[in-house]
Amino acid sequence: MSGSVWRALLTVLMVVLAVAWLLPAVWVLVTSLKLTENIVRVPPEWIPWPATIGHYGEVLFSSSRTARIGRAFFNSIVVSLGSVAVVVLTSAMAAYPLARMRFRGRSLVFGLLVGSLMIPNAVILVPQYVLVQRLGWLSTYQGLIVPEAAMTFAFGVFLLRQFFLTIPSELEDAARIDGADPWRIFTGIVLPLSQPVLGALAIFAFRSAWNDFLWPLIAVNKPDMFPLPVALALLRGAYAAESYGPIMAGAVLSALPLLIVFLVANRRIVEGVRVSALKG
Amino acid sequence: MKPRRGRRQGAFTPYLFLAPGLVLFAAFRVYPLLEGLWLSFTNARLGRAQQTFVGAANYARLLDDTRFHVSLLNTAYYTLASTVPILAVPLGLAVALNRGVALRTFLRGAFFFPFTLSVVTVGLTWLWLLDPVIGPSTYYLRAAGIPVRSWLADPSTAMWAIILTTVWWVTGYYLVIYLAGLQDIPRELYEAAAIDGAGGWRSFRSITMPLLRPVFLFVLVTHVIGSFQIFGQVFVLTNGGPGDATRTVVQHLYETAFQNFFHFGAASAMAWVLFLVILAFSLLQFRLLRGHTQY
Repeated sequence: MSGSVWRALLTVLMVVLAVAWLLPAVWVLVTSLKLTENIVRVPPEWIPWPATIGHYGEVLFSSSRTARIGRAFFNSIVVSLGSVAVVVLTSAMAAYPLARMRFRGRSLVFGLLVGSLMIPNAVILVPQYVLVQRLGWLSTYQGLIVPEAAMTFAFGVFLLRQFFLTIPSELEDAARIDGADPWRIFTGIVLPLSQPVLGALAIFAFRSAWNDFLWPLIAVNKPDMFPLPVALALLRGAYAAESYGPIMAGAVLSALPLLIVFLVANRRIVEGVRVSALKG
Repeated sequence: MKPRRGRRQGAFTPYLFLAPGLVLFAAFRVYPLLEGLWLSFTNARLGRAQQTFVGAANYARLLDDTRFHVSLLNTAYYTLASTVPILAVPLGLAVALNRGVALRTFLRGAFFFPFTLSVVTVGLTWLWLLDPVIGPSTYYLRAAGIPVRSWLADPSTAMWAIILTTVWWVTGYYLVIYLAGLQDIPRELYEAAAIDGAGGWRSFRSITMPLLRPVFLFVLVTHVIGSFQIFGQVFVLTNGGPGDATRTVVQHLYETAFQNFFHFGAASAMAWVLFLVILAFSLLQFRLLRGHTQY
């Protein structure tokens, strides 16, 4: 068989597989748009007709349920953006001297950070709870933002240091001769040159904070402060017997921000995963 | 102005840059790790102001805690059983995508998409798909003449439903990593092998597999560290059931500390046992795979 025929067949096969791979997600979207009485129809209907956005309205605004998805969506946005800000700032500041300056303890600090990537998050769950409780941070934004940021910090340092090492140092040397201090060089030269990798780190940090489940499950006990994954998991308990419509509407809403980021920055996300994995 | 201020200028400068991050790191990573070790030797409870040192009592009690044994076994079973599909499915897809198919970006994106979802969203998706009464998979399987059981309510299939869910969730992530590894293999090697008459399977075994060894190592270690901590899928899909058939270590830890007993000491002992198991597995894999990475 000639190469191009073979390649065309393989392409067709892969497209079929990819579509099949997306079917579960499509089914969730379809279900969320159906009228309640059509959701349980057999055989399964893949076109939601007549369509309704009623389930979205209910999970976003109805206050009769234990967990309100609208409020949870807002909480998740605050926590994720807060965590992104803390992670990007602290890891960029820490990665810079590790890449560019000589000082006592440099390899120790770097070794500790890389080693900490092996610490399973589940192992520090209980003591982290004790700490956050002692700080009076349970059910607060900072009680979610700061631990989420700490989880991603070491990875961020690693990723950014790797990138800083590839920036030619002539620009910084020139600025130094002109009398610029290290902070000016860092903010004026290094950070602007690092925008792609800072973007990749921001997406990574956003994803981990947006999707984390176990930590907020224990660190938040006020329904008004639940982030999306916790609210969704509890929504399931509230609706189980009645209908999948509102649950699926909640699931679609929870997927939207990252779907948008993903469609806009597909390349960058993939690049971020690649760099993080292979230079490790 | 001084003529030149070398990189060493301002002895404190590097530490000032490092300070915010290191404070965060020390307070929320290092300190909890050590505090957890201490707690595991105490009778700490939620709300108990004073905790006393109880020696290895928490660890000794784990020896008798049959539910802990079950959850450890389940977790090990899950980790081992999921390793083959987690290694093989993304590899198969990556090799296929690397053979010059069209629409590569779309295809890669389609497989990667579930990885952008939270574990809860993924769990709810599959809960609905596998619903024994109204889930579409039930309908189609029955239509195809395959006897349908309630996958999640049957102890012999519940863990496999969780594995299926996880494979769907993470395949895209490992696919991207494999693809990057494959692209780093020089094309000339395959061309030379083809000239020598090697077929597709032969060159896959003799070129692709050995050169991908570091990538395998990364995927394996990442997968094992993640698998031993599996929680979200179980929480949403089965809550550990039926019976204790899918109860995992982190779930048991979570319930011991935050649901039933609020016993922080016992939960911390579980955490450290889990940590040591993960560490042992990771080191074992490094030894097994590192030893052969000489070219």
